[in-house]
Amino acid sequence: MKTSSKILICALVLLLCAAFAFAGGKKEASSSDKAYVAGKGTLVVGITDFAPMDYKEGNEWIGFDADMAKAFAKELGVKCEFIEIDWDSKSMELENKTIDCVWNGMTLTDGVKKAMATSNAYCNNAQIIVVNKAKAGALKTAADAKALKFAVEAGSAGEAAAKDNGYKATAVETQAAAVMEVAAGTSEACIIDSLMAAAMVGPGTSYPDLTYTVALTEEEYGVGFRKGSDLVPAINDFFKKAYADGSMMKAAEKYGTQASIIPQK
Amino acid sequence: MIQEVLLRLCDGFIKTIELFLLTLAGAIPLGLVVSFGSMAKFKPLKFIVRFIVWIVRGTPLMLQLIVIYYGPGLLFHQNIWGMGTSGRFTAVMVAFIINYSCYFSEIYRGGIESISKGQYEAGQVLGLTRRQVFFKIVLLQVIKRIVPPMGNEIITLVKDTSLARVIAVYELIWAGQTFIKSDGIIWPLFTTGVFYLVFSGLLTILLSKFEKKLSYFN
Repeated sequence: MKTSSKILICALVLLLCAAFAFAGGKKEASSSDKAYVAGKGTLVVGITDFAPMDYKEGNEWIGFDADMAKAFAKELGVKCEFIEIDWDSKSMELENKTIDCVWNGMTLTDGVKKAMATSNAYCNNAQIIVVNKAKAGALKTAADAKALKFAVEAGSAGEAAAKDNGYKATAVETQAAAVMEVAAGTSEACIIDSLMAAAMVGPGTSYPDLTYTVALTEEEYGVGFRKGSDLVPAINDFFKKAYADGSMMKAAEKYGTQASIIPQK
Repeated sequence: MIQEVLLRLCDGFIKTIELFLLTLAGAIPLGLVVSFGSMAKFKPLKFIVRFIVWIVRGTPLMLQLIVIYYGPGLLFHQNIWGMGTSGRFTAVMVAFIINYSCYFSEIYRGGIESISKGQYEAGQVLGLTRRQVFFKIVLLQVIKRIVPPMGNEIITLVKDTSLARVIAVYELIWAGQTFIKSDGIIWPLFTTGVFYLVFSGLLTILLSKFEKKLSYFN
């Protein structure tokens, strides 16, 4: 008994050391990410099911981001492969090389910029308040929403917007969970991406009683790569080319995001 | 930074321990009631209890959490949990206690049914009532026999508490994950593993001590 508990304690101390060694570990920039992707012949794109940027039709991933990712892979001369990831683990997936980029309407927050290398912003988005239709009439400005109890995605731009406006907000796991909170009445309102709100609530969706109202903050979407990746200049050049030849706007019009596209110069 | 992370992880860990202790406090007695139900002589009661046990053991605890918390509002437009953090915690407790009672009840049932008929008969010969036979003779031996399987479930519970985060109860894993989202650092999430290991290590020692204490017949 005595010896076995001693061994146990030693093992735990060792593990603790290992965990802190993790903290000190340096991230090395790979020599060339572009060559690595070209070498294996596929660009693995980390996404979530997020209409209208990436979503499934039949067996194929489509959407504005999905179509652009396919075009970018073609430009690189590799195959494009989509993998659904847990959004919270996106930076781990990148560093782990289980994906090569995150291309899924990702807001360029300070946290994202710290965790990965990002492309130029290509799309505007707003953080928007979603409420039950019955409450929408009384909501004209951001100040009108002060009394409501909010649900927001933890670590999202919506959470930051709630903090800035002094709202009482509960952090939940995903934007979809935040919408479910409103529908279930466990929260009165939520803050999500306007592009997502347009696709997710209102007539013809599972949430016909919900609607979106006041826009709180404007923000920009970008594509994320491993730190120090040389795919960043490649994608910025690709965006410029696609914007100049009109193919970017054409893809945007297909999915109704043309009003949000940022000119690439 | 390390200090701040450990502080936040400790906050999450306290919530994890709360979930753990309250679930045990609720599920250990409730499990005994459920086990009586599933052994009842009255057929309809036995059927209903075994049906419930089937549902609870046959669906993921994560789904049960979501159904219990969001279900009333989504299906009947009647949110029974209120809007505060206390409502979330209560919902988690209800889901965990029901879930673990069902698992515990099967362990109890196995223990009770393993006691030989002779023990009951001996009790009757000595002039004890059925109640006295159960509490003074049978239960004592049942407890001895079920400690190892109960220990198994108890250690599983330590890790199942991490499911509470799906309805935004901020336990240990949630605390670790927030650093990925806000600061882009991943080591806090891995460090949570140390907390779980230390906790279940202590429980293992406690359980084996308890088992030794119960070995008075040998």
